[in-house]
Amino acid sequence: MELQHVSYQYPGQENGVTDLSGTFPAGKITTIIGPNGAGKSTLLKILSRQATPQSGTVTLAERPLTAYTNKLLAQRIAVVSQRHELYDDMTVAAVVKMGRLPYHGLLATVPDEEVTDFLAQTGLTSLADAHLDDLSGGQQQRVWLAMALAQEPQVLLLDEPTTYLDVHYQQALMTQLRQLAAAGMTVIQVLHDINQAFTVSDWLWLLQDGRLVAAGTPSDLRQAPLLAKTFQTPIEIVDVPRLGPYIVQVPEAT
Amino acid sequence: MTKHAGWWYGGVLTLLVVTIAVALMAGTTWLGPGRLWTIASQPASRDFVTVFNLRLPRIVSSLICGGSLAVAGALFQAVFRNPIADPSILGISSAADFFKLGGALLLPWLPGRNWVLAMIGGLVALTILTSGKALRDPYRLIIVGVALDATFVGLARLVSSGQASQVMQSTFNAVTWSDTVALLVLGLLGLVVALLLAPWANDLKLADAALQTIGVPVRVIRWILLLLGMYLAVSVTAIVGTIPFVGIVIPNLARRFVGHDYQTLIPFSMLAGAWLMLAADTLGRTVIVPSEISAATMMAVIGGPFVIILLQRGRGFHGITTR
Repeated sequence: MELQHVSYQYPGQENGVTDLSGTFPAGKITTIIGPNGAGKSTLLKILSRQATPQSGTVTLAERPLTAYTNKLLAQRIAVVSQRHELYDDMTVAAVVKMGRLPYHGLLATVPDEEVTDFLAQTGLTSLADAHLDDLSGGQQQRVWLAMALAQEPQVLLLDEPTTYLDVHYQQALMTQLRQLAAAGMTVIQVLHDINQAFTVSDWLWLLQDGRLVAAGTPSDLRQAPLLAKTFQTPIEIVDVPRLGPYIVQVPEAT
Repeated sequence: MTKHAGWWYGGVLTLLVVTIAVALMAGTTWLGPGRLWTIASQPASRDFVTVFNLRLPRIVSSLICGGSLAVAGALFQAVFRNPIADPSILGISSAADFFKLGGALLLPWLPGRNWVLAMIGGLVALTILTSGKALRDPYRLIIVGVALDATFVGLARLVSSGQASQVMQSTFNAVTWSDTVALLVLGLLGLVVALLLAPWANDLKLADAALQTIGVPVRVIRWILLLLGMYLAVSVTAIVGTIPFVGIVIPNLARRFVGHDYQTLIPFSMLAGAWLMLAADTLGRTVIVPSEISAATMMAVIGGPFVIILLQRGRGFHGITTR
């Protein structure tokens, strides 16, 4: 995916993004980081076409996003939101089948065997007939991931996917994203945990006030002054045995 | 469909058959099965007229109305994502009633007047309901709906110069074969479409943003289901009048019995609604023979307490989240 001079302002609000240009390399994990209000979620919305930029172009496979039909776009780009809302009870299999809709007519009944792989991939096979209400937050997150994977997208967008997960599930999710990227999927996510971002990503986008401050590999961006300036807090990078470099926030110097 | 749901389907079908049989036999004069059989070949007899021109159209009308109202309720609940949304509580039916009344006064020459004006009334109410903030807040939706309902009931009383409430006049008493045929055609058409579109009601369980990302045209399917629900409810209002609560009681019980999948829920609601309406009407016309209680009154007495219990027991209100 590529952005060229993309700007988006919410009507009547200051937050937005300004003149973003850059690429999201295919088959890699790119993480968007930056302080609150930097425009991370807005950027994700632009990438999923939930927000249409006032200027600039977003292209997927060298074709502008606006040229895709809704259905075709749903076959290319899938989104896992921070928290999905479900207004009525559904079974796990029924939710995952929704992810197959881009490949069917609107009134089609999706056959069970179309989702068996995606249930297996996310460890949900035994829960296929369970009701979503009865699942833990971590299990529910896996259901939404399974639905996104059922779209067989080229690009997977995740908005703070680890927020409601405990450490164990966070780790499991990141391992899974790694595998998906290795299989050729372009993974783009927003993360708050900066160390997680640096550990798991192949490529980073650092945003501040709606502008792209820097883009590069984690080793390119692992600079205390740059991060301190962007997050407006004193930052040091320490070496943790058996872990490597770790970004820590330190008390203001007096 | 689960085995459990299968039993409930069997149960409601059995109830339907039994209740239809009882409804044919019961009335001012009781006609046993043997008598029914003999009068079938005596078209000139008085009992034949009673059964085929009075009881049978009444039975068919109640079945279609009950099924239509229950399905309309289920569709409204899916669209508004609110377990007590229903065309009667949201003022759609009373708007239809008011326009029907106005039409009778102003446009007496219009063919198919009642139905056409009732549909216009339904559309007006629906437009008011969906144009403001009510869609975003389940409490606001119900309150706006109740206010709409009160407004149109009041307007109808004003026009009919202070007569008794419209609701209490809705009855299957004196329903003719021509009314019945109209109901049958309008109702069956809507019900068949509802059965076909049931998967869309399931889609709306997901949030709009999520539906957009899987390429589902949310606004289109929402409006089609909404108009379909309105059409079903308003067709009943046009011919019989407003009958409250069927659309709330039946789909909510149905969720308990057969689950939350609209592809199972809508057909079940149709059958159970048909049964409830017929049972309420048959009871209403046999309890205090030769007088009778209207179907709307019966439903108000049954449905009101049900809604109170439903809400007081703290079931999910924002979204239909509890089982």
